[in-house]
Amino acid sequence: MKLNWRLYFTVMGLIALFLVIYETNAWAVWTKEDTQVVRVENPQSQSAPEEKQKEILEGEFTVINKDENMNDEKVVKNEKQAEEGIIPTRIRIPSIDVDAKIESVGVLDNGEMGVPEDPLKAGWFEPGTQPGNRGNAVIAGHVDSKTGPAVFYHLDQMKKGDEFTVTGKDGKEKTYVVQKLESYPQYNSPIEKIFGSTNEKRLNLITCTGEFIRDKGGHQDRLVVYSTLKEPKETVPSPTNVQVSGAFLTWYAVREDDIAGYRVYESRDGGETFDKVASVSQHERKAYSEPKASEYEYYVTAVNKDGTESEPSTIAGE
Amino acid sequence: MKNVKRILISLLAIMMLVPSVAMANGTTTVKTPGSDLRATLDQLLSEHFVLATTYMMKSYDEAPDRDAVWEKLDQNAADMTPAIASVYGEEAAKQFEEIFRGHNDYADGFVEAAKNNDEEARKMAEQEVDEFVNEFGSFLATATEGNLPEDAAKQVLAAHEEDVLKVFDHYVNEEYQQSYQAFRDGFHRMFDISEALSSAIVTQMPDKFEQTKADTPAADLRSNLNALASEHFALAVLEMQKGYNQSADYDFVTWAENEHTAEFKAAIASLYGEEGAAQFEKVWQQDHINAQSDVVTATLEEDEEARQMAEDSLMTFAEDFGAFLATATEGNLPEDAATEAVWKHEEQVLQTFDQYVSEDYAASYDTFREGYGFMFGIGETLGDAIVKQMPDQFAQDQMPEEMPDTGMGGMSDHNSTLIWTAFGLFALVSAGIVYRKKA
Repeated sequence: MKLNWRLYFTVMGLIALFLVIYETNAWAVWTKEDTQVVRVENPQSQSAPEEKQKEILEGEFTVINKDENMNDEKVVKNEKQAEEGIIPTRIRIPSIDVDAKIESVGVLDNGEMGVPEDPLKAGWFEPGTQPGNRGNAVIAGHVDSKTGPAVFYHLDQMKKGDEFTVTGKDGKEKTYVVQKLESYPQYNSPIEKIFGSTNEKRLNLITCTGEFIRDKGGHQDRLVVYSTLKEPKETVPSPTNVQVSGAFLTWYAVREDDIAGYRVYESRDGGETFDKVASVSQHERKAYSEPKASEYEYYVTAVNKDGTESEPSTIAGE
Repeated sequence: MKNVKRILISLLAIMMLVPSVAMANGTTTVKTPGSDLRATLDQLLSEHFVLATTYMMKSYDEAPDRDAVWEKLDQNAADMTPAIASVYGEEAAKQFEEIFRGHNDYADGFVEAAKNNDEEARKMAEQEVDEFVNEFGSFLATATEGNLPEDAAKQVLAAHEEDVLKVFDHYVNEEYQQSYQAFRDGFHRMFDISEALSSAIVTQMPDKFEQTKADTPAADLRSNLNALASEHFALAVLEMQKGYNQSADYDFVTWAENEHTAEFKAAIASLYGEEGAAQFEKVWQQDHINAQSDVVTATLEEDEEARQMAEDSLMTFAEDFGAFLATATEGNLPEDAATEAVWKHEEQVLQTFDQYVSEDYAASYDTFREGYGFMFGIGETLGDAIVKQMPDQFAQDQMPEEMPDTGMGGMSDHNSTLIWTAFGLFALVSAGIVYRKKA
């Protein structure tokens, strides 16, 4: 009997403990490791630091299609980067075991972005950017349903540097790399930053997070996982033979097909600080003219059509 | 006693005048018949090289202007005939024309062989070139009566043919830097050939060339300036065409231009020192080389405003460079004339390019030949101004024709006219002084 009571209290105790754990959701807290989610209370007041500029400034370089007759109107000038977006149908996030279908969603009557009915599906914001293209593509998914975890339940567990893949209708895949995770109050999210235009090729995953308050319409916060397209690692060779002679800074062209041009950086304080002083398109003479060139120091970088800039060349002058 | 001293001083003064009078015989100039002959050959031979290599590149690329280049190459050969006739007569000129004009045809053999990768055809073309070298080498040796030795003639002709082929072969292999290095080397060899040939001719016919030489320091200067000026024009035209077509070798033409600038700078340094050379380089690059490229960019980008700016730059260059030359030559080349000449050159560069862009190739290469020839006028005028500025450096006859007469014969022959002349003068002058003293 004594043994039975002991067993009884033990079992009951365990059940009670289990219930308490369930109620307080402590289980999730324990199983969920520390997240890298940064909570941003007032995103509007905080200007998010922009990633290092990679893009080509509008009109910085002129790209001329040499295969075309120059007088042909088809000749592309200020060529936009080739668009190669996909209509996503599937998302796979290995780090949190997600492999889900994607539907296209739009804007609801109340102005919110739509979400699929099916909690196990993610929704791609179709009026926006296609994954693979320049801009902010957005995919949203539920964190939970009325009955249990949903497709993006573990989204907050993602880490910077995690990779995930979206597959297009045509079978093409685009892989993205997580840059940062931020959460915002539901009604104070930086919509422009998440959905607006950018020269980067981004894909932002959204789900709910924070306290669930039924009276207030559910989860109080929104989690955004920012990621950028993983592109074949492009390294642009640096220009060589950078030389100052007289009023000319000259260098050798980089012999690659996709070079848009070169940036010339000048230092007037003996190499302490360099400022960009010129952008020279690939079709121009590889030279920069400055009467006092022999008094300054220079380096030159090559920039490809995707905006990737090479390492600085060796420093010329002095 | 006092009188004797005076007489001696007067005599010394008169004696010292004699050599200075001899030196002043004829002012220093680049404009001598010998130097003129060399300049004519400079122009025709170097133009032949430029057109031959250009034709082969264009023909290999099947460029739309290849026929126009061919026509000018043939015209250049035809223009040599009267030059030969003026020296050696009609018959020799006819013979020359047969040999020389025909050799341009081999260019097609090489181009076809390269296009079809046909080794057999290449060998045949090479054989034809060998025959030409032999035949033309003999012709030159015979015509100059051995003043240009046959072996030397053949050697230099073979080297020239090799230069042309080097330019072409590297071009075909897309080794553009080597190609343009060969272009520059081969271009300059034409001036060496011209020097050797013109020297041989003036030595052979001293009377016809008024006893002037083709290789005096002044003639050398003129020829060097001819080479620098004409190479600039040739490269500028080529650079603008290649830039406009965005040809794969475009950056290598600009490279060749930079090399040429360095050479020009060195030439200026040898005349006016490092500081003057540095000044030259900046003027030369900024509103000139750079502006010529800007014209191309403006055309590619269809930017009228940029074109106008580039033309304004060229105008600035004409003024700056005119001022530079006038200052450097201390006014021996007047500023206005210099600026006018430089601007005329720029106009020719622009016209050659514009006609090329509008696909009027015949006109473009007509302007090319005119503009190319104009550079030799610049060589002559500028050369003469420099020589007049520095007569000592470019004085003629710095090397005597004969060994010095180092004995007066006083020990073996008493019949020396000089002694008697001196005595006569001495007698006269002393008589005069004594006479005045008495009076």
